[in-house]
Amino acid sequence: MLESGHSQKGWTSPQESLRYLFMHITHLSLTNFRNYGRLELDLPLGSILLHGENAQGKTNLLEAIYYLATSRSPQADQDSQLINWDAAEAGDSVVVGRLIAQVATQAGSRHIEIRLIQEQGLSLRDGQRSFRRQALVDRRKVRLMDLLGNLRVVMFLPQDMQIVTGSPSERRRYLDITLCQIDPIYCRTLSGYNKTVEQRNALLRQIGEGTSSQDLLPVYSDKLIELGSRIFARRSLFLGELAREAQRVHYEELTKGTESIRLRYLPRLQENGSGSRGSVGPLIALSEWLQENQMDQPAIQAKFSEALAAAQANDIARGATSVGPHRDDWRFWINGRDLSRYGSRGQQRSAILALKMAEINWMNAATGESPILLLDEVLAELDEHRREMLLSYVLKSSQALLTATDPAMFTAGFMKQSTSMTVSNGRVQPDDD
Amino acid sequence: MVNNALPRPVQQLINEFSRLPGIGSKSAARLTFFLLRSGGQLALDLSVALQELKEKTRFCSICFNITEEEPCLICQDDTRDKRLLCVVEEPLDLLALERARAYSGQYHVLHGAISPIEGIGPEDLRIDELVKRVSEGDFDEIILATNPTLEGESTALYLKRRLADTGVRMTGLARGLSVGGDLEYTDEITLGRALDGRVDL
Repeated sequence: MLESGHSQKGWTSPQESLRYLFMHITHLSLTNFRNYGRLELDLPLGSILLHGENAQGKTNLLEAIYYLATSRSPQADQDSQLINWDAAEAGDSVVVGRLIAQVATQAGSRHIEIRLIQEQGLSLRDGQRSFRRQALVDRRKVRLMDLLGNLRVVMFLPQDMQIVTGSPSERRRYLDITLCQIDPIYCRTLSGYNKTVEQRNALLRQIGEGTSSQDLLPVYSDKLIELGSRIFARRSLFLGELAREAQRVHYEELTKGTESIRLRYLPRLQENGSGSRGSVGPLIALSEWLQENQMDQPAIQAKFSEALAAAQANDIARGATSVGPHRDDWRFWINGRDLSRYGSRGQQRSAILALKMAEINWMNAATGESPILLLDEVLAELDEHRREMLLSYVLKSSQALLTATDPAMFTAGFMKQSTSMTVSNGRVQPDDD
Repeated sequence: MVNNALPRPVQQLINEFSRLPGIGSKSAARLTFFLLRSGGQLALDLSVALQELKEKTRFCSICFNITEEEPCLICQDDTRDKRLLCVVEEPLDLLALERARAYSGQYHVLHGAISPIEGIGPEDLRIDELVKRVSEGDFDEIILATNPTLEGESTALYLKRRLADTGVRMTGLARGLSVGGDLEYTDEITLGRALDGRVDL
């Protein structure tokens, strides 16, 4: 399992290195993805430094790996933006963009692939080209959802700060993408829940307009309660574990015992009177109640059912379901105050770093394998202590890809333990040692 | 697609074909030119088949399956169990069950599943007819064989509520492993349901 030459990279004890050596990408192949017309790239174990000028394709490479792991793009909302149109225009009208990773894991080697297929004609809705995604694991077609878990990543982006300062939907997205990589049942439950919310909302609007009767509503409410209660419980359990680890990392590793943060789940198990600016007090109480009852599905269902019933008249008037995990939030507190409003930028940065490091440790503990780390230009904005902490995680991981415009910020020691590659105009070239 | 270089009948057939599901303008043109070049009989046979499809078929007034006779052959068949009723979404689902040769009761075809997003409510399906048929009939059991999708399951739950007053026993199809399948490649939800529904050997 150990590849020759790896021992030169400074691993201290064989026991420790073995523990982290498992999941890594051995080969990456991209066709018509962003600025890559065609890329075939062998990747070694350990840390890989991608350097080059701006807009040459460093970030796109990390994005491709993230996409293969999560089926989501870290930034773009639409898949059509992922296609390299310059390259695509030349060929047939039905062009296939393709991402393939050969992944080595404890269980053996896996071939995972996403195809981006252009449908014939333009979409009727918006006149855009419409797309279909097709996922394959070991060349067998699978549902996109079943792709998740074959490749696990933790990504660090400069815009991660939005997890603290952005809207609740940003935080839910982060939560769901992380949890879906580990728990396929959660992912399916969530997908069923989201469809149920859409159906229920459509029905609420029709009831409000008088075009549909209320006797269909209990069918969707029951389904919502059944699936939603499982999501509440799973998120409560997950955020509890993540919070403990993030609080520990923040206190012990990042601030050397000088500051403590608190991460709390705010489950929307109750209508929030005055919108998003409403008091979080009742939601914190519900979060604590949920912690104590997270194994008790009937109790959660009863509470959720009660909240839905209480909100029903309002929901019909608004044409939307106002309670349930699709309106959840979670937040950080520092010294008892809301980090997003009262924290300094440095404090917010430390909290995000603690969260991501905790995510790595959590995935390690949950799967016995280190996730692949993807760091996009994040080291430049960190002070020396935090940078060192983060690099220690990089050096412990089985594989990490880092991008940097200026490789000079890395110490000679780190460079010696890393493979460096130059990215230039959609081509990647390993540097000569 | 309007093209002055094409005679009107050719263009018209291309337009008609491209209205069908799964057929884009290119496929439509390919089909049209295939018919244009082929011997006269093929196109004429097709036109007769299309005409008969609409003129000689109708919905059975009892089960709402597609039929040439009224009532349909299944509803006419006295050898079939009259006390067992199976509710399906589409005629193709009925056909699948018939192919299995494991069921010999009556059917009721809903012609769809409830989906508020698509604007399909209970009144758009043959649900009132089903309720009437069950409350006036003499059934021992109703099998709700809608698809295991959100829409299918919601429809079954709604039917369960609507039919509760009749007091007739209601069942659903088992969810689980496909025969000849592989445990390793079965998704977790299906496997979980298969475990929940395990049977004594």
